Amino acid sequence: MKELDPILHSQLRLAVMSILMSVDEADFVYLKEKTESTAGNLSVQLDKLSAAGYITVTKGFVGKKTRTTCKVTEEGRQAFEEYVETLKDYLNL
Amino acid sequence: MEDKKMTEKESLELITSMIKRTRERYIGDGNILLMWGYLTVFVTALVWIMLVLTHNSAWNWLWFLIGIVGGIATPIMSKKSDRKSGVKSYSDKITSQIWITVGVASIVATLFCIGFALKGFNAWGMMFAIPLLIVPMAEISQGIIVKEKSLIIGGAIGLCVGLFTFCCLVGNVRLLINWFLPLFMVAFACMMIIPGHIVNHKARLQR
Repeated sequence: MKELDPILHSQLRLAVMSILMSVDEADFVYLKEKTESTAGNLSVQLDKLSAAGYITVTKGFVGKKTRTTCKVTEEGRQAFEEYVETLKDYLNL
Repeated sequence: MEDKKMTEKESLELITSMIKRTRERYIGDGNILLMWGYLTVFVTALVWIMLVLTHNSAWNWLWFLIGIVGGIATPIMSKKSDRKSGVKSYSDKITSQIWITVGVASIVATLFCIGFALKGFNAWGMMFAIPLLIVPMAEISQGIIVKEKSLIIGGAIGLCVGLFTFCCLVGNVRLLINWFLPLFMVAFACMMIIPGHIVNHKARLQR
């Protein structure tokens, strides 16, 4: 049986990807609130997803405050779909 | 939530739970609708009063206030609203593109009317029919996408007034200010002010 993608098979990274798969884009504050994670941990996991090419992270300014926006890439979308398919095989669904 | 490994079953449960959380989202706000609604009703009332009092058609230039004020305020309010919700869903993206199309169509219609005026033809009457045709269509589409009845009903009322206005123009029925401008204001109140307050009320309940 195919192995589950190690980048996605982690609680926080999978939570982030699940959220980003359902929306067009989300900012850091929204992701932190929905995943109930700490800013430091979320930041590390976003970097890992970004390094894998699964998401794009755009840092910008809104007035004087910074705003980090995340969006899933086509590669990330495919990886997520494959992950769900593999998961179904494991669970015999 | 931490960065820990999970069983396959836990993974599936996590995906389902996160997808559910994105659906518990902020309904949005009706502030942009309210701004356009009040702005249009205010400018219409102002033009009506000035035309009745002075009989000077130069007051019709005030109509441009709607496009100028609304055109400047909308992107500012829209950015503020996006920042507040922190997320942009696919339906947000579609509805925003629908409204951009309405904006572009309105600018093009205005340019056509200016072009006609420069050639000595008066096509300004169309500027009453066009907003009452394209704006309600966009509003009904948005209502269907976000499943908000007040937008669908408000849009339908506006569309009926728009079709009536269009028939008047084609049938050469004069749109006299004393009956048409109040009708125009009522249409915008039904189309934007009432749904705007309903959406804001629902957003407040959701918070």
